[in-house]
Amino acid sequence: MHALQHILRRAIRSLWEQAYLNSVATFVIAAALLLMGVYLTVQFNLNAIVDSWDSDVHVSAYFKDDVPEQRRFELRDELAARREVASVRYFSEEDARRWLIDRVADIEPVLDELGPGVLPASLEITLVPERSNPEAIAAFARSLSSTDFDDIDDGREWVERFHAFLSLLQLLGAVLGALIVLAALFLVANTVYLIVYNRRDEVEIQKLVGATTTYIIAPFLLEGAAQGVLGGVVAIFGLWGVHRLLVVRLQEALQLGVAGDLVFLPVSWRLALLATGVVLGVLAAGVSVRRFLSTAA
Amino acid sequence: MIRMYHVTKRYGDVTALRDVSLKVGKGEFCYITGPSGAGKSTMLKLLYGAERPTEGKLLVGGVDVSKLRGRRLPALRRSMGVVFQDFKLIDTRSVAENVGLALEVIGTPRPVIERRVAAVLSIVGLRGRGHEYPPTLSGGEQQRVAVARAIVNDPSILLADEPTGNLDGAMAIEVMEILQSIQLRGTTVLVATHDAGLMERFPYRKLRFEHGRLVSS
Repeated sequence: MHALQHILRRAIRSLWEQAYLNSVATFVIAAALLLMGVYLTVQFNLNAIVDSWDSDVHVSAYFKDDVPEQRRFELRDELAARREVASVRYFSEEDARRWLIDRVADIEPVLDELGPGVLPASLEITLVPERSNPEAIAAFARSLSSTDFDDIDDGREWVERFHAFLSLLQLLGAVLGALIVLAALFLVANTVYLIVYNRRDEVEIQKLVGATTTYIIAPFLLEGAAQGVLGGVVAIFGLWGVHRLLVVRLQEALQLGVAGDLVFLPVSWRLALLATGVVLGVLAAGVSVRRFLSTAA
Repeated sequence: MIRMYHVTKRYGDVTALRDVSLKVGKGEFCYITGPSGAGKSTMLKLLYGAERPTEGKLLVGGVDVSKLRGRRLPALRRSMGVVFQDFKLIDTRSVAENVGLALEVIGTPRPVIERRVAAVLSIVGLRGRGHEYPPTLSGGEQQRVAVARAIVNDPSILLADEPTGNLDGAMAIEVMEILQSIQLRGTTVLVATHDAGLMERFPYRKLRFEHGRLVSS
C-alpha cells in the first residue's frame, strides 16, 4: 500500500518535472487517436447510411406503356394483399415528373422538350421488415409478371456494391489503423525512452538499493496511462472540433439529408478510443523501460 | 558473513579475479586494497550482485550470490548498503529524499521514513540539512549523504568503493570515522581503497589484490 503511494507520487512528480517530453508523448498519442477517430467517424456514418438504406430498400416495378390504368390499379391491389408486402404506392407519369422537377433544377424544359412517355408509371413496393433481405427481395422481384412490367428494379445491386466498397474501406482502415498505432507506438516509445534516460541515475540508484523491476517500471507505466488518457481526451475534443467544422459543413453543402444527420462517434466508440490511448501509452512505456533496463547495468 | 570459494571473474579474455577464496566475519572492518586494475571494484560488484562469478562460489549472509537471479537480487541488495566514489546522488532530489530512497523502495510508510532519515542524518553529521540539494553540498557532505543512504535500512553489510577518493584529507577522515562508527554498531564494512595513509590511520584487516589475485589477507 505504501509502495503504491510512493509509486504514484513518483509518477505524478515525473509528469510535472518532465512536462515537455510528456507533452510530446501525449501529443503523438492524441494525433494518432485523432486520425483513427476521423476514420472511425467516417466509417460509423457510412455504416449508418447503409443501414438506413438496407431498411429502406423497396422494389420499383415500371409498367409497360400499353398496360391500361385499370389493370395497373388491379395489380397494385393484388400486391398490397400479399403477406410479404408492407405498402404499395402507385406512381403515375405525372407523379414521377413532379418528383424529378422537385429535385433537379431546370429539368422541366428538358422534360417538356422530350414530351410524354419518357417517365414510366410505376409501383413502389416496400416489403415487410422480415422480408427485406437481399434474397427475399430478389425472389419477390422475380415473382412479378413480366407481361405487365417493362423493368423491375429491386435496388439491391448498387447497395451491394456499396457494401463491397465499405468492406474495402474497413480493410483499408484496419491496415491504416495498424500502421498509425505502430507509428505512434514507435514515436511514443522513443519519447518515453528519453524520459527514462533523463532519470537513469535515479533508476540505477533504485536498483542498487534493492528496488524490484516492478517498482522501477510501475511509475513509467502510470505516466504512460496518464499520457494515454490525456491524449485520448485531446483527440476526442479535436475530433469533435473536426466534426463540427468539417463534417457538419460538408453535410450542409452537399445536402445529404437522405441518410439522416451525420453523427459524432457514440460514447462507446469514444471510450474505446480512450482505452486505445491508454493501451498505447502503457505499452510504449513498458517497451521503453524494459529496453532501458536491459541495456543499463 | 562473506565467503568466497575459488572465485574467478573473466570479461572476455581479461581475467579480473583469479581463484579468490576468503572469509569475512560478521561485524568485521576490512579493506580491499591493491593497485588500479587489481580487481577491487570487481570484488565489490560481485558482492552486490552487479556481476556474477565466472567460476567458483560466493556466499553473502549465507546466500549463494553466484546463482542469484530475478527477484532475489533486490532482496540481497536490501540487506546491504553501497557507497561509491562518485556518491551517486540524485541532484534533483533533496538530501532527505536521496537518503529515504532505500526505504521507499521497500514500501516503508512516509512518517517512518522521515524519522529514520532524520536519525541517520544525525549519525553522519548532517542534522537539519535534509531539505538541501546535493549540488549545494561539499564533496565530503555529499559522501556523508551517500553513507546515510547506505545505512538507513540497517544493512548487515556496508560496501564502499573508494569512498574517500574524491575527498581531501580532512573530509576523508570524517567519512572514515563515520564508517568506523557504523562498524562499531555491528555492521560488516568492506572498503575498497588504495589510500595507504588512510589505512595506516585506521588500521584494519587488508585484503590485498594484485592482477586479480588475492596476495594477502
